[in-house]
Amino acid sequence: MTNTASSIEQSVLIAPAVYEAATATIRAEAARLLSEGSVAAVIGYVPGRRAGTAMPAVVTDAEAAQQLVFSPACVNNLTLFLTKAKKEVRKKGRLAIVAKGCDLKALAGLIGESQLKREEIVVIGVVCAGVYGAAADRRAPLSSASLARKCRECSVHVPEGVDLLAGTLPELPRLDPLEAAELARLEAMTPAERWAFWKEQFSRCVRCLACRQVCPFCYCEQCLCDRNRPQAVESTPRPAGNTAWHIVRAMHLAGRCAGCAECERVCPMDIPLNLLNRKMAKELKALYGHEAGLEPKEKGPLAEYREDDDQSFIK
Amino acid sequence: MPKTITEQNLHLLVDALLREGKRVVGPKRAGTVTLYEPLRRGEELSLDELPRRSAKETFFPVCESILSYEKREGRMTVRDVDLSRLPESVLIAARSCDAAAPGILDAVFSWDYHDEFYLERRRRTVIIGLACTTADDACFCTAVGLSPAATQGSDLFLTPLAGGGYACAVVTEKGEALLTAHAGLFAEAESIEALPPAEPAAAPLDLKRIKAWLDANFEHPFWGSIAERCAGCGACAFLCPACHCFDISDEGSETKGERRKHWDACGFGKFTNHASGHNPRDVQPQRYRNRIMHKFKYYDDKFGLTLCTGCGRCIRACPVGIDIAAVLDEINSKP
Repeated sequence: MTNTASSIEQSVLIAPAVYEAATATIRAEAARLLSEGSVAAVIGYVPGRRAGTAMPAVVTDAEAAQQLVFSPACVNNLTLFLTKAKKEVRKKGRLAIVAKGCDLKALAGLIGESQLKREEIVVIGVVCAGVYGAAADRRAPLSSASLARKCRECSVHVPEGVDLLAGTLPELPRLDPLEAAELARLEAMTPAERWAFWKEQFSRCVRCLACRQVCPFCYCEQCLCDRNRPQAVESTPRPAGNTAWHIVRAMHLAGRCAGCAECERVCPMDIPLNLLNRKMAKELKALYGHEAGLEPKEKGPLAEYREDDDQSFIK
Repeated sequence: MPKTITEQNLHLLVDALLREGKRVVGPKRAGTVTLYEPLRRGEELSLDELPRRSAKETFFPVCESILSYEKREGRMTVRDVDLSRLPESVLIAARSCDAAAPGILDAVFSWDYHDEFYLERRRRTVIIGLACTTADDACFCTAVGLSPAATQGSDLFLTPLAGGGYACAVVTEKGEALLTAHAGLFAEAESIEALPPAEPAAAPLDLKRIKAWLDANFEHPFWGSIAERCAGCGACAFLCPACHCFDISDEGSETKGERRKHWDACGFGKFTNHASGHNPRDVQPQRYRNRIMHKFKYYDDKFGLTLCTGCGRCIRACPVGIDIAAVLDEINSKP
């Protein structure tokens, strides 16, 4: 079990100064956008009460923009606040959003799925050296040991195609890909072993649905798992329903998931949900050469039909 | 003279209780987390950290069957759950914030409707509390009138000792009976040196003042400002020792199935959705307001109790950083 980043290599500190520089730019640009009236609100991060924490905030005036921060505690994918799931935020008007590279992929996905138009939002891209992982001591500066697992394999430290860019990239340590290693470990298992692994993981699921609620792609007005006439998935937190729920979710996100790993981060039971997402992404790449990226695509492979699709599974 | 028990004998106590056929629930490692779970042997006890979920599920399981049905040859048989078969139980090493909660929940489960599933488990369970010697900055039991060494709700209460082992205080007759039955595992000490209890940083809140503000401010821009970020998941409620909403679902086929009672949460968008499609709490701030109102006003109005023990789990788990202690602090300081 390696649900949290463990330090295989020597722990290397990640320069805190870059976060301070990004914070200064975000504050200045947010204040400018708000005071000149080009946006109604800026979705960003503000510090939380507890040491080393931050939380999403919807800032509507230039003065409040001075509270915005970017730090290793800015773990959330803020694109959630642009989806149908957050209607009250969208109603405010034109929005600016602070986006890390990983969040930008979700933004591209939402645009591709016609959930929003690129010209409706101002993207304040933020250069990101990484954020804290689940078990990190948030009072200590970010290090390779406390880094979130997804950040160890990040391919978009510097977001592209944004309207404004905050921060500059420091030199980053070379890190072992723990998540890929864990996925390889699972793939090497026999089906029975893999089944035992997931059965044990899903046994802890209480169906709090935090995984669904923070996913930018879970914007359906009517979720399959809430339906009871007819009931598609047992809604009670029991093994059958839990397993069905997580498989349905993984399938539904196949080819769409941006890999922000929010579902895994928020799971209060530490279920390594991003491994399911990664596995599906890998399958989609192998089968269809498709990857969720920074370019909005109108349709993913599971949402369109092509003559040259693999049909060997139809017997 | 104070009674003490060594760590080793605490494990033996669990083993002895298991041998008597009792269900013993205590903190146990489950993957990367610690949960209150039925123990198979005393050695499984893991007392280092506050379990991720509260101990409420000892009495109010995540999901339980409340009846079953089966159709055979055109005849439908409905079977109740035989509550007399529920095991005698011991909840061991429940932190003060968890041990106090069932006593608060008794009020609602024995109010207009007597929830026998909950009440029968309560009647059959002895609670052995455990004092906390460490706290983090999400802990706020001291703010809501409890403390890391509060014995409220416990039948016996363990306090870690400086030299290892625990002092064991008798709180109720139920606890006394359990201790007497296993007297051989306890020693009598002339004096004890207890480890100092944890000191959560949270200052006591004026709960009366908070309630007065809630009484007068059902409509207030504050709700929008704090709850706009709420994602509408049930993580806070599901980890909470005091949240007790449940739903009932019939699951199975037309010929065989069960009626199940399972956790629900007022933060869910569908929680108050009417069959007509109307939803009286149709935006997230209204749902978050309900959460605070229920804990610090409605429960007080009805039962004279606060529905929060300050365990801080909702703070640690909130995906978007909503911090109930900070919210209460802000209300407390409002004019």
